[in-house]
Amino acid sequence: MSCTVRIPSPLRSYTGGAPAVAAGGVTVEEVLGDLERRFGGIRFRMLDEQNRIRPHIRLYVNTSEVTALAQAVQPGDTVHVICALSGG
Amino acid sequence: MALSATQRARYDRHLALAEIGAAGQERLQRARVLVAGAGGLGSPAALYLAAAGVGTLGIIDGDCIELSNLQRQVLFTSADIGRLKAPTARERLLALNPEITVVAHASTLTAQNVVSVLEGYDVVLDGTDRVNTRYLINDACVILGKPLVSAAIHRFEGQAMTYAPGRGPCYRCLFAQPQPGAVASCAEAGVLGVLPGVLGAIQATEAIKLVTGVGEPLIGRLLIYDALELRFTELPLARRADCAVCGEHPSITSVRDAGESCAAPDLTSVRRLSPSTLRQQLASARAAGQLVLIDVREPREFDIGHLEGACNIPLGEIPLRLGELTAGRTPVFICRSGRRSLSACALALRAGIEAPAHLEGGLLAWAAELDPSFEVAPG
Repeated sequence: MSCTVRIPSPLRSYTGGAPAVAAGGVTVEEVLGDLERRFGGIRFRMLDEQNRIRPHIRLYVNTSEVTALAQAVQPGDTVHVICALSGG
Repeated sequence: MALSATQRARYDRHLALAEIGAAGQERLQRARVLVAGAGGLGSPAALYLAAAGVGTLGIIDGDCIELSNLQRQVLFTSADIGRLKAPTARERLLALNPEITVVAHASTLTAQNVVSVLEGYDVVLDGTDRVNTRYLINDACVILGKPLVSAAIHRFEGQAMTYAPGRGPCYRCLFAQPQPGAVASCAEAGVLGVLPGVLGAIQATEAIKLVTGVGEPLIGRLLIYDALELRFTELPLARRADCAVCGEHPSITSVRDAGESCAAPDLTSVRRLSPSTLRQQLASARAAGQLVLIDVREPREFDIGHLEGACNIPLGEIPLRLGELTAGRTPVFICRSGRRSLSACALALRAGIEAPAHLEGGLLAWAAELDPSFEVAPG
């Protein structure tokens, strides 16, 4: 049961520069948990202490915005992590 | 405002496009477009808009041209170093197209001037490099009812979206509030020089489409460009009913309110330590538990070499982990060159931490002054 997680540029230091990684889980929460086990610290850059998505982060499963971490993830799905950028 | 013979010749390839034609070109001639930030994004955007015949082009930027700008800011040349960007851009754009008017605003957008500047334009392009300025411009555009084409870049990635009043989400619908420092700037993280060329050209394209009314603007869609993989990804964006500025019950109703969070912290209270001063303080104060040494570089840099006893909190995590810094000990931030550590001090000040310190010149200065064997990882 694996999906693809696309990692935004500011968080690629956690994945060794990889723009996309495979992750397991049947919900967004499980997928992020799998990421955290392998790339320690990355989850905290997306979620705060109350498990809320940070205001400068957006998550999508395919093209559906994630509004709840219990949202289902199917094998073959792509989870997009979007991070605010500020460079000009 | 009919086109002259010279203008017909200059814009011949536009006139050949049925979608633009003489009517579209005349719309461009009447248009007033503001390019906020004459940097990596603003340079190509302004050049293409000038070439396209946008009748009034405004450039706002209070910075001067530096050598490190020239890798991507194609408006400028080596001979321009030290000059103000806005008037230099004006000269360059008028040399490209003397048929247009270019207004140089050699200042920074603030809550005090943003309304008076934006009021003179029909479309705004945001290519600024400060988080809070992005929200200031967005809020002003929503309140004034101006279309806004936003783009931003980081290393090899870029994003773009277009806001049009009443037709879709604004930048705050995408990212609800600023989190300064959560993402490193281009100066800190680097940027591929050609990347803003792609995004700036997209911004210019959007502006031309908005002015002429052709095509489908990037409204309600976020475009993400990954240069490393040469991949464009598009994700849908919906307007948020609870958006603080364009939502059903906005809490931001004037630009002054929106701009108050944009005040830069006063860095005069930051203690700037030389390498030898830091070494002395480490020997005494840290032993007494009075300070904590925080290396704000990325983990891969930290792993290559770091000062004894330093803990690693990358700059991007500082806003999220400020609670760890307030346990009664003075934080001393260190990084490679002193740039990221000063940013960390600014974040600490914003969070109410008094008199944070940083290593001036960073670990490069430490190695040069005290320990030539210390290996400083490339940034």
